[in-house]
Amino acid sequence: MNNSSTQIPENLLISSTMVFFLIHSMQVGVGILGFEKYIASEAGYNAWISIIITGAGLHLILWIIYRILEAVDGDIVSVHTFVYGKYIGGGMNFLFSLYYLLLCVTILRTFIEVIQTWIFPQLPVWLFGLIFILLIYYYVEGGFRVITGACVAGVILGLPLLLFKLYPIQYGNVSNVYPIVDHSILELLASAKGSIFGFLGIGLLFVYYPFIKNKNDSKKWAHFGVFYTIITYLVTAIVAFIYYSEEQIHQIIWATISLWKIINVSFIERFEYIGISLWVFVVIPNLCLCLWAASRVTKRIFHIKQRYVLWIYSIILYVAIFFLEDRRAIDRLNNFTSEVGLYFLMYIPVLYLLVVIIKKVRNRHEA
Amino acid sequence: MKKKKKGNEDLPTQSQSLKELVDQLKQSKDFKEYELKGKTKGVLYYFETLVDPKTLNKLILQSLKSHSFRSLEDIEGTIPVEGTSITGDISTIRDKVMLGNVAIVLEDSDKDILLVPAPSEETRKVGIPEIEFSVVGPKEAFIESLDTNINLVRKRLPLPQFTVKEMKVGKITKTRVAVLYIDGIANEENVNTVIQRLSDIEFDQINDSSYISQMLADNSHSPFPQILDTERPDRVTGSLVEGKVAIMVDGSPHALTCPTTIVEFFSATDDYLSPWPVASIFRLIRLFAVFFSVLSTPLYVAILTYHHEMIPDDLLPTIISSRADIPFPPIIEVILLELAIELLREAGARLPTKVGQTIGIVGGIVIGTAAVDAGLTSNVLLIVVAISALASFTTPIYQISNTIRLIRFPFLLGAQMWGLVGISMVMVFFIGHLIKLTSIGRPFLAPLYPLRLRDLKDAYIRLSFNRQTKRPMQTRTNDPLRFNSERATERRDIDE
Repeated sequence: MNNSSTQIPENLLISSTMVFFLIHSMQVGVGILGFEKYIASEAGYNAWISIIITGAGLHLILWIIYRILEAVDGDIVSVHTFVYGKYIGGGMNFLFSLYYLLLCVTILRTFIEVIQTWIFPQLPVWLFGLIFILLIYYYVEGGFRVITGACVAGVILGLPLLLFKLYPIQYGNVSNVYPIVDHSILELLASAKGSIFGFLGIGLLFVYYPFIKNKNDSKKWAHFGVFYTIITYLVTAIVAFIYYSEEQIHQIIWATISLWKIINVSFIERFEYIGISLWVFVVIPNLCLCLWAASRVTKRIFHIKQRYVLWIYSIILYVAIFFLEDRRAIDRLNNFTSEVGLYFLMYIPVLYLLVVIIKKVRNRHEA
Repeated sequence: MKKKKKGNEDLPTQSQSLKELVDQLKQSKDFKEYELKGKTKGVLYYFETLVDPKTLNKLILQSLKSHSFRSLEDIEGTIPVEGTSITGDISTIRDKVMLGNVAIVLEDSDKDILLVPAPSEETRKVGIPEIEFSVVGPKEAFIESLDTNINLVRKRLPLPQFTVKEMKVGKITKTRVAVLYIDGIANEENVNTVIQRLSDIEFDQINDSSYISQMLADNSHSPFPQILDTERPDRVTGSLVEGKVAIMVDGSPHALTCPTTIVEFFSATDDYLSPWPVASIFRLIRLFAVFFSVLSTPLYVAILTYHHEMIPDDLLPTIISSRADIPFPPIIEVILLELAIELLREAGARLPTKVGQTIGIVGGIVIGTAAVDAGLTSNVLLIVVAISALASFTTPIYQISNTIRLIRFPFLLGAQMWGLVGISMVMVFFIGHLIKLTSIGRPFLAPLYPLRLRDLKDAYIRLSFNRQTKRPMQTRTNDPLRFNSERATERRDIDE
C-alpha cells in the first residue's frame, strides 16, 4: 500500500463536525424537489415507511464505508488498488471517477430543467450552463476546504426552506399518512429504490475521507448527517402526502416546488421563485463535490495535476449539458443515474467482503 | 531595521563625500551652512525647515559659543541634547541630516562629524475621532505622528510585554512603519508574517497606512479589505489584547490591525460600551443593513422584471400606480437613481464640508422629487434607494462601506440577467470568494466558516464580558485564557 499520496497537509484538513454538512448537503439536492412521485408510484401513501427503510439501509452502508476506509486507511483509490492491484484497480477507479462525473451532469442538467420549467422557459442554456460551470470551477479550484464551506452555506440557507415546508399542512388531510400498511414489503422496497437518487451522495465519503482531521470522531457526525437527511426527506414526503390526494401525487413531477406555491405571506406570493433561487445554494455544493471527487480520483490514478483534469471535466460537463435537450432525455438520464447509483451502493458491501477476505489472506501469508 | 539595506537602494545621483553632499544640498534654499566664529571654529549644516530653532539656538549654539572645544567628543559631552552621534559614514550623515539633525564639523577634525538631533515636530493636536465617532467612548483619535500614536496606545497598555518593532519601508519616502504586539499573547507566526511581508515590500512611496494595507493583503485583487484600519487607540488596544498585531505608519492617522474577519468590520466601539443585549441587537441591525443595502435594489429589479407574480394583490396597485408613467424598464430606472446617489456621495466626499452638506440636501431633495415628478423614476424605488444608501452608512469602518457600495452592481447585473436565480448566483460567487479569502493566513469568514462556536460569542452578537472567557481562536493566541473565568462567573445561590 502506498499511502504517501493520501497524506493531506494539516492546514487543508477539515474538522470532523464538517462531515455532518458534507454528508447532508450531498444528499439533499435536486432529487428532493420531485422524489415524491417516484416513491408513491409503488407504495402510495405508505411510501413514507419506505423512506425509513432506506434510512436504515443508509446507516448500514455508512457503517460499512467507514469499516472499509478504516481497514485500508486511504481513499477509494487506495482501497481499489489494495483489492484488485494496480491495473484492474485503476480501471475500477476510473469507473468511479466517471460515475461522479455522471452524477454531476445529472444534477446540473436536472437543475437547469427545473429553472426552465418553473421560471425561465426561454433560458439560454449555453450561457447559463457556462456561467454556472465557471462558478463551480471557482469553488473547486479553491480546494476541498472551500467546497466544505459551500456545503455549510448550503445547509444553513436550506434550513428556512425546510421550515417553510410545514406551511401547507394546514390545508391538508392528516389522515392520509396514518400508519395503516396496505402495501406489501416488496412494494415498499421498490418504493425505497425510487428514492435512491437523492441518497447517492454518501459514496463521496470514499474520496474525502483522508481530508477529515479526526476520523474516528467524524463517524457520529456522518451518522447524524444521514439521520438529518432522512428527517428532511420524511418531512417533505409527509407534507406532500398530507396535502395531495393519491391521484395527484402520481401526476405532479415537482411536488416540493408545487407545495412552495401555496405559501403566501402579506408581502410575498409564489414562494417557489424564492425556493428555486435559494436552491442554487443547495445545488452548488453537490456539483462542486462531485466534480472535485471526479477530478481527484483521476488525479490519483494517473498522477497528473488535478487542475488539468478539472478543465477537461468542466468542458465535458458543458458539452453534456449542451446536448441534453428535451425532457425525455433528461428523464432517461435521471433513471440511468439512479440505476447506476443503485449498483454502486450494492457494490459497497461486496467491496467490504473483498477487503476483509484479502486482508485475512495477506495476513496469513505474512504470518 | 534589519532590512534597511534593501530599503536604501540608492537613487542614481548620490553623493560620495561630504563636500559633494554639501554641494548637492546647497541647491535647496532652506539648507544652511553656518560658520562658527566664537571660541570654537567650525561649521554647522542643517535644514532650517527641519530643525527646531529653539533647540538650535538655546541648546546647541549657546553651548558652542560659550565654551572652547578641542574635539567633537568634548562637544558631545557638553551639549544637553540626547541622541547625538559621531560618525564619518556619509550615508548615515545624509539620512540623519534629512531627518532634522544638525551636523557639526570642526575645523581641524575634517573626517568625523557630530550629529545633533533637533527635529521640529509639526503635528496637530490629538483630536476627536470623526470616522469612528462614539457617543460615550473615549474621544481620542490617532494623528499623523507615529510617536504620538504609539504613545496613545502605550499609555493604555502599561506592561513590559507590549513590543514595538520598527522598520523603514519605501525606497524614496523611507517611511517609518511600526509593528505593535503583546509578546506572549500574540502568535509569533502572525507577527513574523507581518514583519516578513513588510520587509518584502518593494515600492517607492508609502504615503498612508492604506498603502501598507493593500500591500499586505493576502489577495490584492479582492474588493474586500483584509486588514482592518481604525483611528481609535482604544480599538487598537482591544485588538492587541485579543492577540492581534497592529501596524502603524508614520504620517497616517489610521492604524491597521490583523488578522481580522469580515464581521469585525461591522462591529463598532459602541458595541462594547452598552449592555450586551442592546449591543447585540444593534450589531444585528447593522448586519441586516448591509444585506438590505446590497440586495434591495437588485431584488426590485428581479421581481419587477421577471417575477411580478410574487407581489401580492394588495401591494400590486401601489407599485403599478407608481410605475405606470415610467418609460424605462426597472434596471434603467435603478441605474439612474443609484448613479445619482453615487454621484452625490462622491461629490460630497470631494467638496469642503459646508458645501458638501448643501450638495447633499440639494441632491437628495431636489433631484429626488424632481425625478419622481418628471416621471423618470417611481417613488417606491426612490424610497428603496434612499434607505439602502442610508443603510450603507451604518458600517463603522469606512473601507468596507466602499466595498458594499461596489458589490451592489454585480448583483444588479445578475438580477437583470436571471432574476432571483441571478442574484443567488452572484451571492454564491461572493460567498465562495469570502471563504477563499484569508487575513494574514487566517480565514476571513471565521467564525462562520470554519465554524468556531467560541468566537461566535463576539461576532454577530456580543455576549456579556464574563462570558468572553477566552481570546478568539482566529488569532491563534499563545495565551487563550483572558482571565480567571471561574471567579468571574461565580453565582450565589438563592437567598445566600
